Amino acid sequence: MARYRITADDVPFAHEFLRDPFGYRSPGLQRILNVMRGLGPEGKYVILCKEPYRRWQLGRLPARRGEPISEIAGIEYHDLASAERDVFLRRWRDLGGPEV
Amino acid sequence: MLSLIAYTNTLSAAPGEVIEVKASSYGARFYRADLRRVIQGDRHPQGPGYKDEPVTLDLGGVRPARRQAIRPGSYVRIEDRGNVLADLASFTLAVPVQPTLMSGERTIFLLSNPGLELLIDSNGRPGARLGETKLSLKETLIRGQWTLLVVSCDKAAKTLQLSAVSPAGHIVETGRTSAAPRKLEGQMTTVMIAARAPGEGHFDGKIDSPVLFDRPLEPLEAMTRLALPQTLSRSPDLIAHWDFSRAMEGTDVIDASPHQLHGVTVQCPARAMTGWRWTGQCLDWRRQSELYSAIHFHADDMTDAGWVTDFTVTLPADLRSGLYAIRLVPDDDETQAYHCVFAVRPPRHGATGNTVCFLMPTASYLAYANHRLGLDVPGTEVGMGRLVEIDRHHAFLQEHPELGFSFYEVHADGSGVFHSSRNRPVLDLQPGVKGFLGGLGSNIWQFNADTHITGWLDHHGIDCDVITDEDLHREGLSLLRRYNVVLTGTHPEYYSLEMLDAVQGFVDRGGKLIYLGGNGFYWRISFSDRHPGVIECRRSEAGIRPWEPGPGQFHHAFTGEYGGLWRRNGRPSTHLTGLIMSSQGFDISEPYELTEAASDPRADFIFAGIDRSPGRKFGAFGLSGKGAAGMEIDRADFTLGTPPQALILGSSRSHTDIYLMTPEDMLDPTPDMSGTQNEAIRSDLVYFETDGGGAVFSTGSIAWAGAMAWNFYDNEVSRMTLNVLKRFDRQG
Repeated sequence: MARYRITADDVPFAHEFLRDPFGYRSPGLQRILNVMRGLGPEGKYVILCKEPYRRWQLGRLPARRGEPISEIAGIEYHDLASAERDVFLRRWRDLGGPEV
Repeated sequence: MLSLIAYTNTLSAAPGEVIEVKASSYGARFYRADLRRVIQGDRHPQGPGYKDEPVTLDLGGVRPARRQAIRPGSYVRIEDRGNVLADLASFTLAVPVQPTLMSGERTIFLLSNPGLELLIDSNGRPGARLGETKLSLKETLIRGQWTLLVVSCDKAAKTLQLSAVSPAGHIVETGRTSAAPRKLEGQMTTVMIAARAPGEGHFDGKIDSPVLFDRPLEPLEAMTRLALPQTLSRSPDLIAHWDFSRAMEGTDVIDASPHQLHGVTVQCPARAMTGWRWTGQCLDWRRQSELYSAIHFHADDMTDAGWVTDFTVTLPADLRSGLYAIRLVPDDDETQAYHCVFAVRPPRHGATGNTVCFLMPTASYLAYANHRLGLDVPGTEVGMGRLVEIDRHHAFLQEHPELGFSFYEVHADGSGVFHSSRNRPVLDLQPGVKGFLGGLGSNIWQFNADTHITGWLDHHGIDCDVITDEDLHREGLSLLRRYNVVLTGTHPEYYSLEMLDAVQGFVDRGGKLIYLGGNGFYWRISFSDRHPGVIECRRSEAGIRPWEPGPGQFHHAFTGEYGGLWRRNGRPSTHLTGLIMSSQGFDISEPYELTEAASDPRADFIFAGIDRSPGRKFGAFGLSGKGAAGMEIDRADFTLGTPPQALILGSSRSHTDIYLMTPEDMLDPTPDMSGTQNEAIRSDLVYFETDGGGAVFSTGSIAWAGAMAWNFYDNEVSRMTLNVLKRFDRQG
């Protein structure tokens, strides 16, 4: 669905996100997030609550109802901001974004 | 993951009444049960703390846990009477079909004796079986298009013939083979429509009123006969005409032939659906019901798990009204406990003396029951502005779609889910369960967000009755009239006409309403005595909605009501609350900025002990997005019905650009309709009195309750809510 493609011009927006993963965004960053967050459902990154509000594990959604969510072994987070930053960078690379 | 899940036969029971508990093991070997009063279900470390308390009641000891199956898939079942079907020798079956999914073999019609089955094979080709004989056509059916299938058996000629005919009368293909029906003596003859058996060979798509004749007919003759259904009953060769356009409100399937071989629907397929002769002549099935001759079946329809009862609980006669749960602890592991939540309502005869009522929005809980927004819908993360969090309930739901859907899903064929039910486990209707949409912080939704309110009531020692939407629907104002004050939940979005009339009537007659939510009183729903525990919603034009019901199908089957927004039905929420749905976003919330109207003497009681300087930020904290105004928000709009005397005490002045204008407001889309740009995207805090001596305090924000619970309920939002409740609870 998404038309926008990430280019080198977007690197400042990546820095903007990494500074603060929550809250108000510049229009440029919002456009990138719309692309990233609209991906899926197959392979979509999600975070699995292992201990409520304390520990999360990275996971990916399956293609269809009834199939299990896959857990990415060894990738855990102890706060939501860390999870947001890590997934942002994974998606940035997946979408061909330049080095940040 | 979950090892035991369960449900009860009701979400509301009075003291002394009996509740049935139905459980199924998903790995558990045994379980114990106890009764608990649920007070506060949010487990966020900065929240007021999870709180429930045991009720002394012996629910028995250890019980074995056993697996109970769920068989999704809707169908029609008909039993023969007077051997009308059993005596058939030669016959013709004519049935228009419109498949919407064509993977795997799917049964359209099954006559058990002599073993006739009309089906679509795994390649989408129509076929017929008669005993051991199988006949297939070469042309595949086209998804979403009507085709008349005519299958006939000539006993004398020993032939089986199958034809596919287009609605324009073009014979697409005819196949023929030799076959002779062989009766199975001593077996009851049954008809199944849209399934071979429960859970087997389910058809996705529309089937239009099958007709059975007792002699072979050529396909165009059969088509001519079907085109004039009103004349069929006088035809001596008619065996059955299952006229789906009759009795559409319920589960009965009427045979319009003189034989009266009536049947029933199972698992609530969609009725009052446009049939093969509908071409836009009429948009309301009550006007030309004969054009609504189709039923839309889904292999994943599921409104009744149908589990047998494990045990019953007789509630103590002196049990106080409130939120409760029958807690099932599998294998002595409390971390795996499953909670069957319900309300203990006041006694049916006689009052408790409580003058405050919490209206538990169970219709909205059902609308969201087992919702899969974070699983099925990629765009959910865009609207949340955060990663999707999956807890073990969501992970279980992902692997068990047989638990059925909410109004937020589409069926596997892409059509909307019109029905939701409490006759099944509802995993998210438990304390401690996280949501997808609840905002940065607690991230809880609906029931759990509402426990911020019940926790607050408990914290302040306020005695109150709890009644559910279903109680309200059935008893109306006769139930509400005993109270001085009614408090809503955080998101009372789905309302039947009876519910809306009751709350409006309460306010019109001097009742005081505290609307503690956002996007309330938005969608119209229907209950039906013919479908206990099920609600229907058809999301017609406008509204934030994941699907539309399809052209001509905007009227509910249960009642005939025009579905969709109350705003489009002449009953905008402004009439009741002074507010109307403005926008939604699920990342962060905002404070209100107080206005000059906050200093109006009429608002003195609201601001007792609270700084009301104009321009001051009020409620800049909370567990739901860190502000009191957020998630789903409502604004006052005098052009849309906000009473002119309403005081707008405060307004949120900005939201992130996740927040967008609603479709009903976005008549002409322009690129300035987001939270940082558009004045209409705001939450207004409103107070007004009514002519009948009533009064309304409306927060217009789902996040409000999360602010009430902030700092152990010690904050200005909590204080303001208490100021209002205390004044409203004073008579006069």
